[in-house]
Amino acid sequence: MSDINKGDSILEIRGLAVEVQGKRILEGLDLTVRAGEVHAIMGPNGAGKSTLSQVLAGRPDYDVKAGTVRYLGEDLLALAAEERARRGLFLGFQYPVEIPGVNNVYLLKAALNARRRQLGQPEVDAFEFLGLVRDKMRLMQMDESFLSRGVNEGFSGGEKKRNEILQMTVLEPILAILDETDSGLDIDALKVVAHGVNSLKRDDRAIVLVTHYQRLLDHIVPDHVHVLAGGRILKSGDASLALELERRGYDWVRAEAAAA
Amino acid sequence: MSANPQATSPLAPLAAAQAGLPGGAAWGAWRADALERLMAVGLPTPRDDAWKYTNLRLLARRDLLPAAPRPLATGALDDLPAIAGPRLVFVDGRFHAALSAAELPDGCTFRSFAARFAAEAPAALGASLAGDARLADERLRTLNASLAADGPSLELAPGARPAEPIHLVHVATGGGAYPRTRVELGAGATLELVESHLSAGGAEAFVAAAGDFRLGRDATLTHSSLQLAGARTILLDDAAVTVAAGARYEHRLVALGGQLTRLDLRIALEGPGARAVLAGVFFPDGTREQHLRTLIEHHARETSSDQRYRGVASGRGRGSYDGKVVVHPGAFKTDSRQSSRNLLIGREAAIESRPQLEINADDVKCSHGATTGTLDEQMMFYLLARGLDRDTARALLTYAFVGDVLRRLSPEPLRRAAEARVLGRLPAAELLREFVP
Repeated sequence: MSDINKGDSILEIRGLAVEVQGKRILEGLDLTVRAGEVHAIMGPNGAGKSTLSQVLAGRPDYDVKAGTVRYLGEDLLALAAEERARRGLFLGFQYPVEIPGVNNVYLLKAALNARRRQLGQPEVDAFEFLGLVRDKMRLMQMDESFLSRGVNEGFSGGEKKRNEILQMTVLEPILAILDETDSGLDIDALKVVAHGVNSLKRDDRAIVLVTHYQRLLDHIVPDHVHVLAGGRILKSGDASLALELERRGYDWVRAEAAAA
Repeated sequence: MSANPQATSPLAPLAAAQAGLPGGAAWGAWRADALERLMAVGLPTPRDDAWKYTNLRLLARRDLLPAAPRPLATGALDDLPAIAGPRLVFVDGRFHAALSAAELPDGCTFRSFAARFAAEAPAALGASLAGDARLADERLRTLNASLAADGPSLELAPGARPAEPIHLVHVATGGGAYPRTRVELGAGATLELVESHLSAGGAEAFVAAAGDFRLGRDATLTHSSLQLAGARTILLDDAAVTVAAGARYEHRLVALGGQLTRLDLRIALEGPGARAVLAGVFFPDGTREQHLRTLIEHHARETSSDQRYRGVASGRGRGSYDGKVVVHPGAFKTDSRQSSRNLLIGREAAIESRPQLEINADDVKCSHGATTGTLDEQMMFYLLARGLDRDTARALLTYAFVGDVLRRLSPEPLRRAAEARVLGRLPAAELLREFVP
């Protein structure tokens, strides 16, 4: 896919401070993500998890007040949202938007072709594309009716999340940020989603799971787990940290950080 | 009521134009009387509530005199959707036989109003013909009556169901035009009717059209108005519709042209179970103005009305939806829905939306909703986050905004023509074309 090798730096966040509607949400956040890694960012409600996801994807109304973000060596914050997407950054939305009248499958084709143009690859034609998307839909256990519906129109919560992962598997991003992809899923849907994510694990790709609960991590095992609270990463560890958080909650991490 | 006849009224020269109109002395007197009643009250002004959104300054400066008929350039009708079936063409309000393909189906009778004026007395054509000039919203109907020379009069026998749509085409070549339309459906008859308004030649034109549409018991009329008038044409179209028991009137408005266009739809649901289903899009761009006014009166029990309008204004375009539903006493179990959603692109565009409801009966179900705003930021961000460029994302959301109404258009060639024209107004049309099934 690319000349990215396992261990190469994909994302480097240093001292990131972000305000949303005048309120400081992130405050001096540092994070490094390398190719081949799966990261989980966990934290209590209101910690800034979704803000981090959205700001990395380029949401225009979020105000970056300080810090730097480098993506594949480039200044990510200087790029518009659509340029980030074309360079292989994918955000799986916590609340995927319903867009009635915009056909789901054509959006996906337009998105894929935007990415391919960026890579200097020829655009896929309708026939080739349908073959590709049908395979991925089988993987996500989605029936063909999803092809002709409006983007997320009338989808259940679980269907919307599947659709996000379907888009991800088609777009084959370099960095996938999945914002609360597990919320609102029953156990069967969770397994399907996890299977889709696992199918994308590769040495030249990184995945960042943003989640409130540990249960997704039973199915997608992270290499690194971070606790985000009060706008910063307070603690990092391996997969065992997620289990400890599940058992002990977040307060002890805050206490530890305050004492340090 | 505002009575404001001015010495410089554009109406003053019109009396002279009545002389050449078809019909005998009785019609001459009838028309003179209509014009007199109109001059007593004057043209509508912005103080008339029914006209508050329409830019009447344009009207005051327009030459309303019917122009001498001029030849139509070849290709003048090329913009029309290729709708199969009979086509009746009227140039500046007068029937044009050579351009028409008037092979009408069994059970359908066409007469030109010129012939009816010549053969019938004013009383025989009914009181609704002249409108009531004292009412601001019927004043243009009175103007039309004063000067109408011709127009289509169609009658469908009871039970008639033509397989193909009938296409009424109005072409304005300049000056004033006053086409008069009447469509009457006998009991159980079904008709698909398309009315297209075009301009030819680029001259300033003023069209005040008026139509009467009468649906007998259990009849169905699907009536589409395609406004493709040119950039120097003012088009004011007034349709009065009566719907008998069990009958269904469907109207589709596609407003894509004109300097100033306005459609007044006044619908009386007269018998139990009568239905009106209205939908439409208007698309004022540049300096265009497009207005829509509907009045639906529920007179009988178990009647229903459904209105779904979408407006998209860009540039310095202006538009309005002014819709009123009246539920009269005794019209219990009325079901009425009104939805007006409008999208503004750019800071100078404006759309007024005024859904109104007047309920004088118990046990009715009525809802109305109106929104006017800019493109949804969350939808935009979602599309950008998938790598679409801004122009495409904007165009896609704009198209989607009107797409659900466009998809309801029929017949197929009309739908395709409307879709193609809307797409043609948007950037990234080629990519968008893929999204249109």
